[in-house]
This record gives sequence, C-alpha cells and structure tokens, in this order.
Amino acid sequence: MKYVNNILMVVTLLFVAGLTGCTTDAPADLPKASLNGVTINKYVAVGNSLAAGYQSSGLYKSAQKYSYPKLIADQLTAAGAGVGTFEQPYWSDPGNPDPKTGKAARYVIISLADPSNPVIGPKGETPTATSPENAATLARPYDNLGLPGAPLAGFMDTVGTYQGGFGAAIIRGAGGLPKSQFRAVKALQPQLVTFWLGNNDVLGYATTGGTSPAAPTPLATFTFLYNQALDTLKKSVANVKIIVGTIPNVTTIPFFTTIGPKVGAKLAAAGGLALYYQKKGESGVASGTTKFTNPSGDPLICLTGSPYAGLIGTATGKFYKDNGFPALPAGIDTTKPFGVHPQNPWPNALTLDSAEIAIAGQAVSDFNNAIKTVAAAQGAAVVDFNAIFTDINANGKLISGVKYTSAYITGGLFSLDGVHPTNRGAGVLANEIIKVMNAKFGTNVTSVDVSSLPALEIPLGKYMTSDKMLPYIAPHSWDSFLKLWQN
Amino acid sequence: MKYLFTVLLVLTVSTAVFAGGFQLNEHGARAMAQGGAWAARAYDGSAIFFNPAGLGFQKQGSVYLGTTIIMPKSTFYGPTNLGQATKNEMVAQTFTPINIYATYPITENLHVGIGVNNPYGLGTEWPSNWSGRYITQKVDLTSFYFSPTVAYKVNDQLSLGVGFNYVTGDVSLSRIVSPGDAKVALDLSGTGTGFNAGAIFKVTPELSFGASYRSSVKIDASGSAKFTPTSALFPEGDASASLELPATAFVGVAYKVMENFELEADYQYVGWSSYKELAIKFKKDNSTSVSPKNYENVYILRIGGEYTMDALQIRFGYLFDKNPVTDHYSEPLLPDADRNGINIGLGYKINEALHVDVSYLFLKFADRAVTNTEVQFDGTYQATANLFGINFGYNF
Repeated sequence: MKYVNNILMVVTLLFVAGLTGCTTDAPADLPKASLNGVTINKYVAVGNSLAAGYQSSGLYKSAQKYSYPKLIADQLTAAGAGVGTFEQPYWSDPGNPDPKTGKAARYVIISLADPSNPVIGPKGETPTATSPENAATLARPYDNLGLPGAPLAGFMDTVGTYQGGFGAAIIRGAGGLPKSQFRAVKALQPQLVTFWLGNNDVLGYATTGGTSPAAPTPLATFTFLYNQALDTLKKSVANVKIIVGTIPNVTTIPFFTTIGPKVGAKLAAAGGLALYYQKKGESGVASGTTKFTNPSGDPLICLTGSPYAGLIGTATGKFYKDNGFPALPAGIDTTKPFGVHPQNPWPNALTLDSAEIAIAGQAVSDFNNAIKTVAAAQGAAVVDFNAIFTDINANGKLISGVKYTSAYITGGLFSLDGVHPTNRGAGVLANEIIKVMNAKFGTNVTSVDVSSLPALEIPLGKYMTSDKMLPYIAPHSWDSFLKLWQN
Repeated sequence: MKYLFTVLLVLTVSTAVFAGGFQLNEHGARAMAQGGAWAARAYDGSAIFFNPAGLGFQKQGSVYLGTTIIMPKSTFYGPTNLGQATKNEMVAQTFTPINIYATYPITENLHVGIGVNNPYGLGTEWPSNWSGRYITQKVDLTSFYFSPTVAYKVNDQLSLGVGFNYVTGDVSLSRIVSPGDAKVALDLSGTGTGFNAGAIFKVTPELSFGASYRSSVKIDASGSAKFTPTSALFPEGDASASLELPATAFVGVAYKVMENFELEADYQYVGWSSYKELAIKFKKDNSTSVSPKNYENVYILRIGGEYTMDALQIRFGYLFDKNPVTDHYSEPLLPDADRNGINIGLGYKINEALHVDVSYLFLKFADRAVTNTEVQFDGTYQATANLFGINFGYNF
C-alpha cells in the first residue's frame, strides 16, 4: 500500500497542477492599435448629413453618438491619438423638430398592425432642444462639422446659403465663431481631416425625382470647388492628412430600391398591368408606359412614393392634394385609376426614370473622377465608397456572422429614411475610412467592432415579412428630410 | 430576400454540432489512462467501444461502469479582422459522459455484451453579449449509443466481434439573429443506427494486433426553432436536419515487454470528410438552408502502457488528435485545434471480483490563429481541457 499512497499522491499533484498551472499567455501577433509614430492630436470631420450622424430623417443624440467621425475618433484615441473630447453638436433625443409640425422629425416604426405594410414616420415626439446641447458653452468650432444638406459649395460658404438647414446651429458663425466649415478647420488646425462632401450635389436632384433642383451641380463647378477646397485646406493647415470619399451611386440605396419591386409585383399580380408614369420634365398626361419587371428597374420609385403605391388603380388625386397643387396640371383627370391610366399617371417627383438615372449616374461618375484626380494631385487618400456600396448592393457584407445588405430595414445598414446609415452602417463607413488611413499614412488604427454598436430598433412582436413589405410613410413626413436640399 | 433569415439562421448555427471537438474517445478509465491505445487488447467491457473482438478473449462476465468528468477551458482573442484583440472566455462548464458495459460468456468462445455510452457530446457557451453572439451563444449536444455486441473466439489467437448501434442524439443551439436581435433556439433530436466490427489477432502471447471499425450513423433529427421575441419573418416552428456521425477505425499493436509491462500504439482514423454541409429544413416556409462545412478526414495517434505491481496497475499514455476543421471554417461554435494529450492513471484490484480504475488526461489545444473565416470572425483560439475518469469493474 505504500506504493499506492505515493502514486495516488503523484496523481493528485499532477491533477491539481493540470487544473491550476496551465494558465496560458495571450497569443503573440494579436492586433495592437498604434499610430506608428504618426502624430494626430486633432481630427476634424468635414461632411454632410452622413458625417453628422443624421439618421432616420432626424438629427438626434443617440444616433449622433455613433456618427462615423465619432467612431473614428474613438478608434484614434484607442490607438494613442491625443484628440481629446471629439466635440459634436448633439441634439438631445428625440432630436431636431420638423419645421412644419414642431414635432421631432425622426422616423420610427409607428405601427406594425399590418406586418406587410409597416407604418413609418415621425410619431409626434416633442423635441426637448432647438439647438445643440453644448452650443452655448463650447467656445470653439465643433470637431464634427457635418452639415446635413450641405453640397460641396457649403465648405467655403460663409453666408449660409449652402450650409443646409443646420448651418447656423452647427457653424455658429453668428455667435462669433468661424463662419464656414473651412474657417473652422483652419481655426482647429487638425492633423487629420476626413472630407466627404459632394453627395448632395446629386442626391437632392435624385431624391426629388429629378425635380428640385432640376439638375445636379455642373461638373465644371464641382471640379473647381473640389480643387479649391483641398488646395486651400492644404495651404491653411500645415501637414494636414486628408481623406476624401467618392459618392455612392444613388441606385444602390434603399430610398430608390424598396418601392419599385413591390409596385412591380402588385402590377404583375393584377394581370400584368402597365404603370403609366411621367417621364423627365413631364408634369401632365403620361406619354410613356412601362412594366416593373426588373427589381432594379426603370423607373426607380422613390421611397417618398410609398403612400401612393397602395393607391395604384384607384381614382385618386391624393398626390396633388398632399402637395398643395392649386389646380390639377393640364390633362390630368383624377377620376381615372391612378398609375394605370395615362390621364392619372404616377407623378414625376416620385420616380427617377431612365433619363434621370442616366443624369444622376453620369454626375456620380464625373464627380468621382474629379474627386480621384484632385485627391491624387493634392496627396489626399481616397475611400471609394461608390465601389464599396456597389459591392454591398450586389453581395452584402458579412461581419461577425451577420450578413448586412442594402435592403430597407432588414438589411441593417440603412436607417428608416432609406438614405442615411444606421449605427452599424456608420461603423462600416468608419472601418472603410480607417482601412484607407492605415494604408496611406502607415497608422495601425484598429477597426470598429460593428456588432457592438446598437442595431436598428425593430419591434419584433409583429415583424413585417421582408418579401411582402410595402412601407407606408405619410406624405408630409418627408418635409424635413427633403428640406435638406432646398437651398 | 425571402430566405435571407433562413439562410442567416443556419449559416453558422449548426456548423460544428458533431465536430471533432464533440467526439469523445474516453469510454473507460483503463483505456483512457493509456492514451486510448486499447484496440489491440481491449481487456475490459470498453471493448464494446474500442474493439468488440476483445470480449472473445475475456474469461468472465463483467459489469464495468464509470464516468469522465470533462472541464474544458477556451479563450477567443478577436475579432482580429476588425483589429480587435478582446479576450473572450468561454463560460466554464463541466460535462460527465457515462459508460456502462455488461458482458457475459455464453460459452468459452461465444460472448455477448451491451454497452451504453456517449461517443459525441459536450457543448460551448459564450458570454451573452459578446461580439460573436450572432454566430453562437450556446450549444449543447448529447448522444447515447446502445450497442448490443457479440464476439467469437475462433481460436487462442483470433477473436472476432460485431456490434449494432442504436443511437439517440439531442442538439440545442442558441444565438442572436439580425436584424431584430431576437434570440433563436433550435432544438433537434433524432435517432439512427450503425454497426461496428473488429478483430484481434495474437501473433504470439506477447504480440497482438487489433483492428476495429465503426460505421457512420445518419441521424434524422427533428424538432423546433423558437424565436424570442418571435416575428412573422422567422421560420418559427418545425425544423429538421439530417446529420451524419462519421465512421471511425482503430488499428493497434500491443506488446508485452515484460510479464507485467505492456505497451500499445494505435492509429485512429475519423472520416469527417463525410461532413460536407449541413442542411436544415424549416417547415413553415418549406425552405432549406445549406451551409458548407467541408471537414477533412483526420487521425489520432495513441500510445500508452500499463505496469502491474500485485493489485496495483500504473498507466500512462500520450495522444495527438488532428482536428478536422479547416482554418476557413473555424468558428467559436466549436473552437477546435490540434491537440496533444498526456494521460496517467491507476488501477486497483480491491478483491478478485472488484476493481477500480482512475485516470487523468490533460489536453492542450494548439494556439490557433485563423483569418478570412467563412463567418468573418477571425481570431486566435486557445484551449485546454482537464479530464478525470473513474470506473468500477465487477467480474463474475
């Protein structure tokens, strides 16, 4: 038995050693955030609503907290950058008011009583703020200079003409601070600037169905402004590192891809009816017909068309009533079935037809070439968001087991207005920018863990079926959103 | 879009339900203490698992039963594809697969037996809010093999054995789905059948060879998918899947170095390449979701020995277990990697009829850094496991 005791003791010791002594060291070669010797003590974002963290047709703190510039600033800080507090113009929830109703402009999913027709829009929340919460106390420009609605011309604008609806509140030029995005950047003297403007030079045209404004910004103007912007930026801020972004094609966002296929299915179910619609420049009797057989079809129907999609085939003049037409346009007869009769056609303002798609597409392509050319000349890094979103539109994007797509609501990347990103969409934008920054400037900034960002809130109890879903967004819900481009 | 959710649901959900990490080869403390190198001897009731021919050379009837206490520990550093090096520790769990064998010699040459054990089992659970929650939160698997077995001793050199396997399997998986962040719990169970066979040939009283084969078992599992909260969008309700447990084979050689000292070396083959994909059918929308697995055939090398001193036996062993999951298909549902195992153990004969075996196995998984994974969740996995086995034997 002596052996037995000895051996049992050895076994026991080994067992205990196995349980306690095998704490393993962290593996080598794990990613480590660092700036790799690059100095970044100030980061400023120049941009539009995408930079501002505008989401679901509103500007509100719980979304702004996850704007792509803020996410980048957080990652920079984690890599050792001394950017300090990244100041943003936070609108306390529920965010900015709709100018007409005075209620919060942001959209939520209001009702899922009929899961196939979710009702989306502002739900009458009372705003708690009319200006950013720290506007009165912050005696310097914001680090996030994203101006919802601002076109490229907004960068140098000191008057407010091109600063979008939030220019006065964010730039605060009247309060004695620098009067333009450019002057604010110059005052802040950052080492890093993300400059993503230009979307609104075509987006306003597209989201209003090619009606308001009636054309994208002319290429010569765009090229001149872009050159001027990067050139003055470089000359005014010593050693500034600039990252610019291309403009995604409008046909890749759910604002244009959600309603068309549903209308197409509806017409097909009604025995292959044709949709009569007004082409570019038309306002009266339809001259063309088409069938929606192609989900990426011609014409694209704007998400603003959602309240009228359900009325196809009924005798209605709702569009003209909603939009305050003093009289019906010549030849229009609203006693005829809407959308399926040439005398009561689908309105021009709610579609992008082939001519308009071509115009928007040409503008995007021209602008992007200009952006790349100017950026190369000025030594700026380029994030090709157009290529990135074209790829996401075709293939989706898999992150940590989740496949994100550009589908409305269910895709996870686009907020309820169909144009602006969700928190996770902003995470994807931030990661693309960080990737380019690391490649171009040699930093080793780590990416955002997209899954850790709050997902779009969807009341699941009565969830919509994605293949049948035709959202309903009441006509005037869009007023605040469309006002972004009404300069 | 129609099947997006369905596809997302199972894209990863059941990936590794029956993977290498869930295959258990500890089915008797005496064999386990010797690195599982047992197919050329199979002296006890666990022959029903390792090599049914072993029963043919046994002199007495027996009851042999025990359990293995398994305490795995796993850590994931990542996701590195997002530049993260966050340390995520798997929730600690203890598993206790059982093994029960009863054997009886009808004649000197003809032996019968029955075994109940859990050749596939275990589970993983990660913290509920970790960033891999869309891939997996928790998985549990249990299987029971009921194996009536017959062995026939042809002569003093050769014994043959064959067994039938009736198999029950239960799987539960849960994770979070996006969009909506609902939790899905998939519970499936089913049964299947298979067989096993083996031979032991004693070239000399000192040298013996053993070989055994266990067929694959196809389990037609059915059950339900439950979403919390639910939604018209989700394929809630009846679900089914067909799962194939791979075939496995042992080839071993044992040698009596001294009258009281034996050594054995085994090669075990596991035919995981049969696991090419997993298809889950959802009754609600009659959809099938197929996710590719493309596992590889693997092997396990086992060596071990036993030294007898009167009533006491001292055992030791080593094993190398090659994992079947390629880097591309690695995921936190089953953090697998090549494993090295060190075994020790003791046997003690309390009296002529009664004996007890204890064993200990320490498994070290190689650190495994994976990139460009199917689920876009890259990182480095570290794992170890402590296994403690105990069996009681009664001969009659």
